[in-house]
Amino acid sequence: MHPATEKLISALQDSSIQVEACDYQERGYHFEINLKADKLRSLAECMLAQEMFLVFVGGLHVKPAIEIIYQFASFERACRLFVRVPVDADGAMPTISDIYQGANWHERETRDFYGVNFTGHPNLVPLILAEEDIDLKPLLKKAENLLESAAVRRVKVEEHSEEEKAEQS
Amino acid sequence: MGDQERGKLNVHSYSAELQARLEKGEPGDLVVHDPGPLFKHKLADDIFNLCRANSLWPMTFGLACCAIEMMSLGMARFDISRFGSEVFRPSPRQSDLMIVAGTVNKKMASAVMTLYDQMPSPKWVIAMGNCAISGGPFAVEENYNVIEGVDKLIPVDVYVPGCPPRPEGLLEGILKLQEKISGVRHPFPQRKISDAPSY
Amino acid sequence: MENLAENKVAYADLEPATDTHNDNHFYLNMGPQHPSTHGVLRVLLEMDGEYVVDPQPVLGYGHRMQEKMAEHKNWMAFMPNTGRMDYAAALQYNHGYVALFERLCGIEVPSRAEYIRVITSELNRIVSHHLWIGAMLLDMGAFTPILYTFDDREQVLDILEDVTGSRLTYCYFRVGGVCKDIDDKFVEKTRAFIKRQRERFAIYNDLVTNNIIFIKRTEGVGVISPDMARRYGVTGPVLRGSGIAYDVRKNEPYSVYPNFDFEIPVGQNGDSYDRYNVRLLEIEQSLRIIEQALDQLPDGPFLGKVPKKLKMPTGDCSFTVEAARGELTYYLVSGGGDIPYRLKIRVPSYSNLSVLSELCQGMLLSDLVAAMGSLDLVIPEIDR
Repeated sequence: MHPATEKLISALQDSSIQVEACDYQERGYHFEINLKADKLRSLAECMLAQEMFLVFVGGLHVKPAIEIIYQFASFERACRLFVRVPVDADGAMPTISDIYQGANWHERETRDFYGVNFTGHPNLVPLILAEEDIDLKPLLKKAENLLESAAVRRVKVEEHSEEEKAEQS
Repeated sequence: MGDQERGKLNVHSYSAELQARLEKGEPGDLVVHDPGPLFKHKLADDIFNLCRANSLWPMTFGLACCAIEMMSLGMARFDISRFGSEVFRPSPRQSDLMIVAGTVNKKMASAVMTLYDQMPSPKWVIAMGNCAISGGPFAVEENYNVIEGVDKLIPVDVYVPGCPPRPEGLLEGILKLQEKISGVRHPFPQRKISDAPSY
Repeated sequence: MENLAENKVAYADLEPATDTHNDNHFYLNMGPQHPSTHGVLRVLLEMDGEYVVDPQPVLGYGHRMQEKMAEHKNWMAFMPNTGRMDYAAALQYNHGYVALFERLCGIEVPSRAEYIRVITSELNRIVSHHLWIGAMLLDMGAFTPILYTFDDREQVLDILEDVTGSRLTYCYFRVGGVCKDIDDKFVEKTRAFIKRQRERFAIYNDLVTNNIIFIKRTEGVGVISPDMARRYGVTGPVLRGSGIAYDVRKNEPYSVYPNFDFEIPVGQNGDSYDRYNVRLLEIEQSLRIIEQALDQLPDGPFLGKVPKKLKMPTGDCSFTVEAARGELTYYLVSGGGDIPYRLKIRVPSYSNLSVLSELCQGMLLSDLVAAMGSLDLVIPEIDR
């Protein structure tokens, strides 16, 4: 591993954030982090200090809570991190737009599509939807299509190959 | 322009008005209708229509992908200026043809209608591309934002299908419009290639 | 964080970030219909005479619900949508999308197909940069260069039309390869184009690059520092103009890019002139890649063995490509079946435009036009 990446991982672990390594050829990112909302800002500060940039902020509607997904990457080396944070019970999430100004628009868009309230955002007005569609929240799924959070995660390799064997036979 | 309060530019929500009208079952006819010229004289009208047909000035109204094909039409290979559309005017006050090239959505609807109203008569509209004709690839069941066809907002004269239509396709649309205005397809100086009717 | 503003929810209350209410300021609406060809962008400008105090881009005029459609369409039926997001460089969007499924389902792509993909993607990058040069100069008032660039574009569009069937919004790639093979005529025409294009650079250098008016209008205008680029997530030629050599083709190589020898042009100052130069040099590097790919083009099938009914496993997958405007990332969440559960598309122009308010405060209006033009925006991809 690149020394700067090791430094990043140890800086994250110092803030007690668990980092899982992933297979890049399978997933497209190197590390995965599942986080609670209270640790989000320290994660973002750590990332900025380690010279990562914010790729995107998006939403994912699963049961029991909407998850906000973040992806960070590096300009200098191949190091891509993926972060998943479920929203609070009242649908709020702290903003990181004062740390990464690029998150400003991403969070406005996520609010447009999912209705998530980013507390502390300076200007949470609709970005992409028309003014009368402010409560439309188009990307929320209907109840019959909604899946559990675990149902859209990768299964472990051993179980996956057992399923394949079962399908082939 | 009148007073502008800080940060508040009062824009009438045409899309809300359109929705209300469509729900009531009225046609989505929100633009001012042109009553026509006061003085009608056949020979003068014929001459003026011939002149208008051969010097249509389009307004730059490229919204999405079709805009690139419209630009290609204005460039050296396809060259719309040999058919009279020498200049693409950005201001609606100075143009008489609005080529709606691209998808119109709810937010853009009020701008489309304002621009149409600002064009002086006589004016024409070409709906270029599938999105402007009927919503195109975006007219799906879960559509919440795309206006399915610009003819729900403004009256359209010629429809040019394609996604995007080739520049020659748009050129054919302009020639059809010239035929509609002046009654004769590309009257001068091109000769007809065959005796087949030119429709 | 001090003075957390309350969340404003009414669009009509969109207030610029400035808090000095000056009677000498007026509001100018740039767009959503304006004579530049970026698409439907509206920039709300608070002006003090000729100086822009605060520009606020207003988006949404081109929103076409792409991400929503991805959740309701079969993964293959969504392919045409990918070409319509960024229509100037549609093949790269196709590439990211099909490569995403190949990564998720573990499908092998034959080598010839990968080379064809690279050749056509790089041709598309050249086309996109030509369009950008013409459009930016048209914004700044110069009409001649766009005629030359569109002529070059037409040469490439003829080549690509023979093999893909479309001129603009391509839907040529398939999961496992491409849908039609290239033949000797394609190779011959491409080589002729490369030779012709190399001779055209002299015209561009004479007309534009060394033109004192162009230099005066773009040098020092819209300087993006590396720190600002990092905080906003700027990528692509805009970032490379600021001195950071980040290119996904070298950083996280995909397809057969590791087999080619090419450079990443980088600017020093981060102003608009540097961004122009970076793109012009990128055209030359793309020509190099295409030449090497044509030399190395292997024989073989152009479409791999893909099961007729492709079932996606559950899980998520991400794929990043270097589009003409920057880093394009597709992120897919699948719950099994053949309709994606969530497809998040991260487009480069989105982050590139978000620097506009910080970048252009206090500029002259004509400088703002030059700076915004140099960012190379395509608004329908921002609005998706």
